[in-house]
Amino acid sequence: MSAHNARINAGASSEWDLVMTREFDAPRELAFKAWTDARQVAQWWGPKGFANPVCELDVRVGGAIRIHMRAPNGVVYPMTGVFQEIDEPERLVFVSSALDDQGKSMFDIRNVVSFVEQHGKTVLTLQARVISATAQAPQYLQGMEMGWAQTLDRLGAYLQSTTGGRAKG
Amino acid sequence: MNDRLSETFGALADPTRRAILARLSSGEASVTELAQPFAMSMPAISKHLKVLERAGLIARGREAQWRPCRLQARPLQDVAAWVEHYRRFWEDSFDRLGDYLLELKKQDSKNKKKEKKHVRTQRKD
Repeated sequence: MSAHNARINAGASSEWDLVMTREFDAPRELAFKAWTDARQVAQWWGPKGFANPVCELDVRVGGAIRIHMRAPNGVVYPMTGVFQEIDEPERLVFVSSALDDQGKSMFDIRNVVSFVEQHGKTVLTLQARVISATAQAPQYLQGMEMGWAQTLDRLGAYLQSTTGGRAKG
Repeated sequence: MNDRLSETFGALADPTRRAILARLSSGEASVTELAQPFAMSMPAISKHLKVLERAGLIARGREAQWRPCRLQARPLQDVAAWVEHYRRFWEDSFDRLGDYLLELKKQDSKNKKKEKKHVRTQRKD
């Protein structure tokens, strides 16, 4: 019986969930703000070389997220979302959805982001679980990947120009 | 084939069904065996199995009376591939976030230095 349970626990989180952990060299308050201030989110959200000409966050439970990611080749990838939990500066839960041409959702993902401070650094863990996904969902992500693979050269200059500009704000 | 992925993810969203799949990853099993660890009626378990079967995640054998359930790898591979794409999206975003936070920190310490200087010069006045 206990062997059974162990197997079941092992299967509770597996390759069909995304779990990522990354350490950031910044205190937790700062890291959390970078996720909840629209102007800041616009600076880093999305693949390399992408810009976010639209980035609106209504940071409260039930509040909406609206981001238009623009690939360097000009293709715009709109997405929406809803905040489900905001527990500053520890935890952020939101659903993100990618939209097709008609504004219909191609996939909905529930993202849980936790912020743990360790010696002045922030260990960030993202857990993402797909709620639903249509047949178009793979193309959406693949298209984005192609968009950024073409532009690695421009990356350095782009990042420098944007980081220089935003830090003043 | 349409919206197969959605059906797969829908089937995977439930903890009982995940547990059933985890059990099946170590070999085929009968419905009775699958039901064992759960405080659940057989009809409830059968319902979960039907969802998994419809999503193509499991197949029921016809060769034996007890119709063993077994895992179907293909949809799970599709899911894993898709999750991998999503991971890349975040890895890229995290890279950028890391760069951004470093830049903020640099800017912050520069500003602090400037402030100190400013205070010092004010004192002189």
